[in-house]
Amino acid sequence: MAPTLDAFALWLRATPISEAIRVLPWLWPVCEILHFTGLCVLVGVVGFFDLRLLGLFRRVPLAAAWSLVPWGKFGFGLAALTGVLFFVGAPDQYVNNVAFYAKLIFLFVAGANALFFEWAFKEKVKADDLDAVAPRALRTMAVVSIISWFFVIYWGRMLPFVGNAF
Amino acid sequence: MMEFLASLEASSFGTWLRESGSIWAYPAVLTMHTLGMGVLVGASTVLDLRLLGCAPKIPLGPLDKLFPIMWAGFWLNAITGVALFVADATTKGTTTVFMVKLGIIVLSVIVLFDIKRRVYGREGSTVVTPQARALAAASLALWFAAIATGRYMAYV
Repeated sequence: MAPTLDAFALWLRATPISEAIRVLPWLWPVCEILHFTGLCVLVGVVGFFDLRLLGLFRRVPLAAAWSLVPWGKFGFGLAALTGVLFFVGAPDQYVNNVAFYAKLIFLFVAGANALFFEWAFKEKVKADDLDAVAPRALRTMAVVSIISWFFVIYWGRMLPFVGNAF
Repeated sequence: MMEFLASLEASSFGTWLRESGSIWAYPAVLTMHTLGMGVLVGASTVLDLRLLGCAPKIPLGPLDKLFPIMWAGFWLNAITGVALFVADATTKGTTTVFMVKLGIIVLSVIVLFDIKRRVYGREGSTVVTPQARALAAASLALWFAAIATGRYMAYV
């Protein structure tokens, strides 16, 4: 792709921290395990809350369902941290990989959707008072969340097949 | 045994999945396997966290509905797992870590059944006994081990 991206990848790959990530042979597999663990925790918490917004688990108060959100953020943090480590360790695998950019786009959509929900509705959720909010808006955000996280997983899985990452 | 594994691998389905190069073959099946993992382990994790005392305000009763979601993820992964095995039978069928992973999954599912029996077994009431909490901790540990061995298989 753009030569500046290749130059950036070369520069990053030559940094001591990038070399350190590649020197330890067990570090990459361990981070893969943590990346997938984070994915499971995130998908569990986000999926549960989205299904609640879509009308399943109606007997669970929204405020109670929301109390799992810190665990979802923990899962996301685990996956994000290890994801950054993959990129720093082998940037050449990603900068020319179309699956990587597709994953980033869906990550942005999923993240923006979640942040907007938290910003706009957190107080109402905690007070268990979402009745005033149009149900269609909440259902739309839940559907956007499920679809965008699915495509984050899809494009993440495509990294080694569309491009050259492992 | 080796002949059987080799014939699986050489079957038209195994060959297609492994060698077609289509994005709808191996990559798609692997994606479904990852999705099934997220659904099964994710739903199980929500219940385990609740049993362990995180999010105590969530009533236990409605979480019974997590089980059909877990089974959906389980069967998706059983089916895609068999497909992935067929494509690579002589390697996976002779790898110790794969056998360990299968053993862990069997234990995980037994623990799931036991959690369902202990927490939702009595009519109309749901109780979290110390045993149920221990099972929830075991469930989380076993899923982590299943993910770890599954990921490790990519490196053998």
